[in-house]
Amino acid sequence: MEKQTGGGDRYDALVERITRRNFIKIAGAAGLVAGLAPVLAACGGGEEAAPETTAPATETVATTTPATTGGGATGRPLKIGYVTPQTGALAGFGEADTFVLAEMEKRFADGLDVGGTTHPVEIVARDSESDPNRAAEVAGSLVLDDGVDLVLVEGTPETTNPVSDTCEANGVPCISSVAPWQPWFFGRNGDPAAGFQWTYHFFWGLEDIIAVFLSMWSQVETNKMVGAIWPNDGDGNAWGDPELGFPKPLTEAGYTITDPGRYPNLTDDFSAQISEFKSKGVEIVTGVPIPPDWTTFWTQAAQQGFKPKIASIGKALLFPASVEALGELGDGMSTEVWWSPTHPFTSSLTGQSAGDLAAAYTTATQRQWTQPIGFAHALFEVGADALSRSADVDDKAAIAAAIAATSLDTVVGNITWEGGPVPNVAKTKLVGGQWSPGTDFPYDLVIVENAALPDVPTGGTLRPIPGS
Amino acid sequence: MSGELTVVRATTASRLGAVAGVAALTALATVPFWASAGDMRLLVEALTLLALAQMWNLLAGYAGLVSIGQQAFVGIGAYGLYYFGDKVGVHPFLAAGLAGLAAAALAIPTAGLAFRLRGGYFAIGTWVIAEVYHLLAVNTSYLGGGSGVTVGSAAALERGTREDGTYWLALAAGAGAVILVYAVLRSRLGLALTAIRDNEEAAESLGVDLVRAKLVVYVLAGLGCGLAGAVIYLNLLRIQPDAAFTVNWTAYMIFIVVIGGIGTIEGPIVGTAVFFVLRELLSGYGTWYLVALGGVAVVVMLAAPGGLWSLVQRRFDLRLFPVQRRLRLPPAPEREANP
Repeated sequence: MEKQTGGGDRYDALVERITRRNFIKIAGAAGLVAGLAPVLAACGGGEEAAPETTAPATETVATTTPATTGGGATGRPLKIGYVTPQTGALAGFGEADTFVLAEMEKRFADGLDVGGTTHPVEIVARDSESDPNRAAEVAGSLVLDDGVDLVLVEGTPETTNPVSDTCEANGVPCISSVAPWQPWFFGRNGDPAAGFQWTYHFFWGLEDIIAVFLSMWSQVETNKMVGAIWPNDGDGNAWGDPELGFPKPLTEAGYTITDPGRYPNLTDDFSAQISEFKSKGVEIVTGVPIPPDWTTFWTQAAQQGFKPKIASIGKALLFPASVEALGELGDGMSTEVWWSPTHPFTSSLTGQSAGDLAAAYTTATQRQWTQPIGFAHALFEVGADALSRSADVDDKAAIAAAIAATSLDTVVGNITWEGGPVPNVAKTKLVGGQWSPGTDFPYDLVIVENAALPDVPTGGTLRPIPGS
Repeated sequence: MSGELTVVRATTASRLGAVAGVAALTALATVPFWASAGDMRLLVEALTLLALAQMWNLLAGYAGLVSIGQQAFVGIGAYGLYYFGDKVGVHPFLAAGLAGLAAAALAIPTAGLAFRLRGGYFAIGTWVIAEVYHLLAVNTSYLGGGSGVTVGSAAALERGTREDGTYWLALAAGAGAVILVYAVLRSRLGLALTAIRDNEEAAESLGVDLVRAKLVVYVLAGLGCGLAGAVIYLNLLRIQPDAAFTVNWTAYMIFIVVIGGIGTIEGPIVGTAVFFVLRELLSGYGTWYLVALGGVAVVVMLAAPGGLWSLVQRRFDLRLFPVQRRLRLPPAPEREANP
């Protein structure tokens, strides 16, 4: 018997030698992938993610127990799922989450009253990691594992669409925001005649941003030559769509568009686009790149001596961190403004004005206000309002019906799904702003266009980019 | 010489393993009748990742094909599901199967390109080819382009039907991958693969048809990864080209196989279990979760270069899937009688 084991050992030793040798080859390849993948991710996410070191644990569970005093009975806990990109290339959209979630924890400390019954509220926050696969996965786990009653989601079609699709397929009410409504609705094969059963969206649309950009551009004398950098993603394809996007209305307004075609996200060389813009004499640049791509484009444009008078950029220039990343080159960039401290709205949950909310954020985080604060807050306003009005919190259809019947004045304005451009879409108003050297922080976002919402005071008109 | 040397394949452990395997498979097949939808969803993810890892194990651990481009077939499976389900209009479950076959079919021309390269060049070459498929998907507006598509045919299915069907397909992919690798290794092809693994030139000089053996393995791996990809997106419902063709799929496969033990059938099973335990425990910690995954990989590589299963194998001489041949000497008394 001992001899047999001896034979086995020799065999094993041989096998081990072989596998060890092969292993070194394979481990090399594995190391390569393991080493490169984070580098690739870092190229995209590093810039935006870097200031996020104080970002929350990606999963925040805030449970509140109602301090019921007399009167209403106590109901079961209501669970609200919340999905945002807290890490990765889109991290800017989740920057305000820690603050907003802490505010909500305070607000829901006494529970939520639904038809005389007080329910504790539990918020389950999940990170999409800026990855559509992960967004669908966490949405599925919120719906199936956590059994949430309602899902809230925000931050670009790459986040809202997979989450909304998962909710629609599983019959769970979902409210989304911070993605133009066209990529959310048409990008999910929405049928304007039928709409969706479980998923609702509030934000502005392409028609609004086109109006804002055109109005801003009319404030500066240019040759009306527009260069477009539209990426090959949900937003870029919607913006560049010949019928539904920018090209048709811009042409009608007398502008000439130079569109070098869709480029993949995380492109590291924009020389082709820049030289085409230079040769066509482009004076206005517009587009919807992700933040790292705009930094690349604009830096290379400066190196190659391309100096347009106007750069009106969606998505990439929303956040102070992205503008600061450009250094001195950030001065004069313009962007759409969905929410600012000067918006004349107050929260239905806390009674704070937009200005109070932004000030509270700066006090709590020592950071400059950022547009998602208002919309993240408003998502909870709309969600809490719908839950509190629902006829039966144990019936998901009743919650969806309550969402559909919403008419609520929130910190981002009135939200109602009555009379939207397509079913399930509610619109908010849009104004335009320009980044200018600031007082407390390197750059301030100054409102320069307010046609849609005249109650938002402007701080001047659009200046041509310095040095152009 | 009546006391002949004998060749033994099965062991007590492997016979017990076979019984346990059949029992586990039966238990898994009944999951939709008693488990919660959330648990089923987790199992779908685990079984599809097991299928992917097992395919990579077959490629790298047995055929010496270190591919970093298997995400190509995951993406092809995803888009195959969309194409057959939404564009052609067949039932999504059938579409998933067709997507697997389409991936296998595309593996043949892919191999024609990739097999011109060897070693490290092959690894990078497969990655480049996967990027080509990615760019094709991104630039084909018929398939949704860079914006991605919703798998409407699957989303329209009744919820219970979709969940149960997806689960059984995932089980077929996961268990099928294990059985497939086992069957391949027990076959004549398996013998050829073992020879190739040990020394390609020597194997060829002994008459092993290298190209044929590798091609069969590569196409089988394409089939497995394609089917797994289709099932993954039956579960996720939304396909975005950057996500469907992400190199992360291959990184997961490599992680699981290296952690569990390359060149063993048990390894990827152990690796998948470890990966999911780590993910469920740590994914709430954001970036630290990725740091922990990397740390685990480094520790396992240094402490147990053959993977976790190699520790078990060495300590207990345990083999649940008998693919090797063992030489048994005749019992001792017999040998004494025949000096």
